[in-house]
Amino acid sequence: MTTSIDQGGTNAERNLDTQDSGVRRRRARLVLGTGGALHWQDGRARTRVRAVRCFPWSDPQHFVALYDDEGREVALIEDPASLDPASRRCLFRALGVAGFVFEVESILAIEDEVELRAWRVVTRQGERSFQTALDAWPRPLPGGGYLVEDVAGDAFVFPETRQLHPKSAELLAPLVD
Amino acid sequence: MRRYAAQPDRLPLAVRQALEQRGPQAVEAYALIDLDRDLRLAEGWLALTPVDLVYFPPGGPARTLERARVENVEVESGLSCNTLRVQVPGDEPFALHFTQRQRLAVENVAERLKQRAADAGQASTVKPSAQNDNADADYASYVAQPIRDAQALIASRSGSVLLRLLTYLRPYGRQVAVGLSAAAVITVLALVPPLLTGFLIDRVIRPAQASGVRLEHVPLVAWLVVAALAAVYALRRAAAFLRLRSMALIGENVARDLRSELYDHLQRLSMAFFSRKKTGSLITRVSSDTDRLWEFLALGVVDVSLAVVMLVGLSVVLISLDPALGLMMTVPLPIVCWGIYLHSHRMEQLFLRAFRKWSRVTDVLGDTIPGMKVVRAFDQHTRESARFDACNRAATEEFNRIHHVWTSFWPALTFCVEVAIVAVWGLALPRLFEHGSGLTAPLSLGTFVSFLLYTTMFMAPIEILGQVARVMNRATTSAHRVFQVLDTAPDVADAPDAARIAVHGRVTFERVSFSYDSVRPALSNMSFDVSPGEMIGLVGPSGGGKTTIVNLLARFYDVNSGRVLIDGVDVRKLSSGHLRRQIGMVLQDPFLFHGSVLENVRYGAPDARHADVVRAAKVANAHDFICRLPHGYDTVVGERGHTLSGGERQRLSIARAVLADPRILILDEATSAVDTETERKIQEAMDRLVKGRTVFAIAHRLSTLHRASRLFVIEKGRLLEAGTHEELVADSASTYRRLYELQIQLHTSTR
Repeated sequence: MTTSIDQGGTNAERNLDTQDSGVRRRRARLVLGTGGALHWQDGRARTRVRAVRCFPWSDPQHFVALYDDEGREVALIEDPASLDPASRRCLFRALGVAGFVFEVESILAIEDEVELRAWRVVTRQGERSFQTALDAWPRPLPGGGYLVEDVAGDAFVFPETRQLHPKSAELLAPLVD
Repeated sequence: MRRYAAQPDRLPLAVRQALEQRGPQAVEAYALIDLDRDLRLAEGWLALTPVDLVYFPPGGPARTLERARVENVEVESGLSCNTLRVQVPGDEPFALHFTQRQRLAVENVAERLKQRAADAGQASTVKPSAQNDNADADYASYVAQPIRDAQALIASRSGSVLLRLLTYLRPYGRQVAVGLSAAAVITVLALVPPLLTGFLIDRVIRPAQASGVRLEHVPLVAWLVVAALAAVYALRRAAAFLRLRSMALIGENVARDLRSELYDHLQRLSMAFFSRKKTGSLITRVSSDTDRLWEFLALGVVDVSLAVVMLVGLSVVLISLDPALGLMMTVPLPIVCWGIYLHSHRMEQLFLRAFRKWSRVTDVLGDTIPGMKVVRAFDQHTRESARFDACNRAATEEFNRIHHVWTSFWPALTFCVEVAIVAVWGLALPRLFEHGSGLTAPLSLGTFVSFLLYTTMFMAPIEILGQVARVMNRATTSAHRVFQVLDTAPDVADAPDAARIAVHGRVTFERVSFSYDSVRPALSNMSFDVSPGEMIGLVGPSGGGKTTIVNLLARFYDVNSGRVLIDGVDVRKLSSGHLRRQIGMVLQDPFLFHGSVLENVRYGAPDARHADVVRAAKVANAHDFICRLPHGYDTVVGERGHTLSGGERQRLSIARAVLADPRILILDEATSAVDTETERKIQEAMDRLVKGRTVFAIAHRLSTLHRASRLFVIEKGRLLEAGTHEELVADSASTYRRLYELQIQLHTSTR
């Protein structure tokens, strides 16, 4: 993958300016500001940006979009490896926060209640109870394992059942293939 | 809170005390900060007082930012980790991480901080009740909201729900008494035939056989016993008839009462409720859930209670007939019940898997049948067939697993009961041949036959009890779902003395603030006054608050602060039904009900004369195409009017609005989804429709607002600009001019 950065104008500008294909490649830098905020430094211009993985599960290593406070895409980084090391570090640090999900290590209980499935799990980040809708089945992930989103929107990644303790695997088995 | 979120349900005492030590400041809002810097679960607290923002990190000293000096507040969203950044000049900013569960509570704090910074001294967009003393309630409400939205009655227990359900039987007390008495009679009578059979063998047949009595000399008592048997069977059938008839009718009546109550209640609920709940889920509650409750009330309640009575009765009778044999049959009973319970649990797990896989089959159907055109256009029918096959096969495999399990379990259980019967035979045989040797207690043939007949009655109640958990679970779940709707109080309720006024059409917004989630403002301090007969064009970017204005005007929601006045009267003091009858709406996606064109046009005025209907249709440019339909005005338009084109449906909805003759008219993107010629016809119709009415028209295509008296530019919940088209275009710095020029450029570039 050779493309480093696709930096286009705003959506409105792209719509209006048909002469501009919107693909201009150039080097820019990413830096972390106060409070860990990610900034896009393009020459003297510095814009606070939010990093979003376009394919968080099917291709997490590539295609990171950077959005400014107004929700406009500032740049699309096809391959973060093409960034300079300092920018890459900043980007991955920001992605570490923005892409944070709970990593489940074991399951203590899964109980069906009225319209809710109540889970109690041990995650790498600590013990957590959460609820999902009864028809919100764990979603198989392209890289293996399962993704569960609770009613509040928090995401939990489960390993394959064979990687879980038998008790945990038994609890998860009815919900996954 | 503790049960579901496993987090404190209010600000911990230690934090409160720490805040109190800083001075007598009320806590305005607070939130749990549940991730530390390393993104591990932790318990930090963020509290907002009128003066300070204080953060209590887990196990560390509190950090304080002076509220008046806050320069910037932002919440950055991630997958499961959000970051709140609060900046104060010359100070290290707060950068706090928290999960989605805490998002609303943290955003509440952030919005209050922003509000202070944005318009100090002006009214807040958050509910007045949310301030100061209600910080605890707000925090609990924000954390529990996603769970509350997803579930029915969180705190109610199954027992209490079932008891509540049983109260619906109260109006049918007499029939219930009849049904239950009949059921009790059936149970008692079921125990009689084996007893009579034993009596007949021991007291009549065997003595008669022993003494060589001929048939014609069979004693009267034998015939009496046979007659008693016939009477018992006849009585049982009569009781069964009574029981089935009365309980089935009661169940059906209760289901009908519940459906009516539920539907009536749904009609009174506010739009906020419908935006939270899926349509399918509500339809299921009115249809399938009430049906399940019928099943439970009509059959479940009686069957289960009778099964218990039957098992106890059988055990008592068996033991009293012959203690040794009776104990042999009844002692394994708890083990059998336990086995059934385990089997039910296993079946639940298997059904869950099967249901999950079956839902994939229906998902494929739900995707591809409505999207058949896309499937064909991309020539994907082979792939879709393969996808369906795979899902179908997987579902069948799961169902086959279920069949393997239950077809193994029940024969095995029956075999165990039969083994017990054989064991009974083994124990009984020596005793049947015993003639006073004294080695074992003798057993009469009649008693043994009675015993055997009783043992054959064991399986039925056992099987029913095996279903108890499932039946109760299903009924409790359905009852929960039904009661959830019934227990939801309408957010928009009429005052007892609500006024009914004839609307002239003056609309006033006085410093109106509104938020759909009580956190993010949809409208902020909006004020305007519209005279009767004025046409107001609402323009601005999507999500800016245009639709919110018309929602508040029609009182689908109530304001958080400020007032919406119609002819000088607060809409909260008006009868909402009476008000809405005087407000007409033409929406982007016009909704037509299944029924004739006539019924659809007359929806708002069911008694309108045919002449008025035709006149309205002509005003709406709809009469000609209606007359071309095969049955004219009596043509049935399909579900959601799918047999008509978008433009035709739109013109019918305009005719409906014309016929209702509203004083205030709302046009929400009424011409956005039609071609130019149709747009011209609709525009003509609308030009006629708006005459003499107060109109609020939302449109992205500014050209459709050429008749507007004034244009309001709405952005981020605020009224940015107001004026005529000419006035706004004349201002080179106006947002409207920028939008207008963008549209002209777009129009030119696409020509």
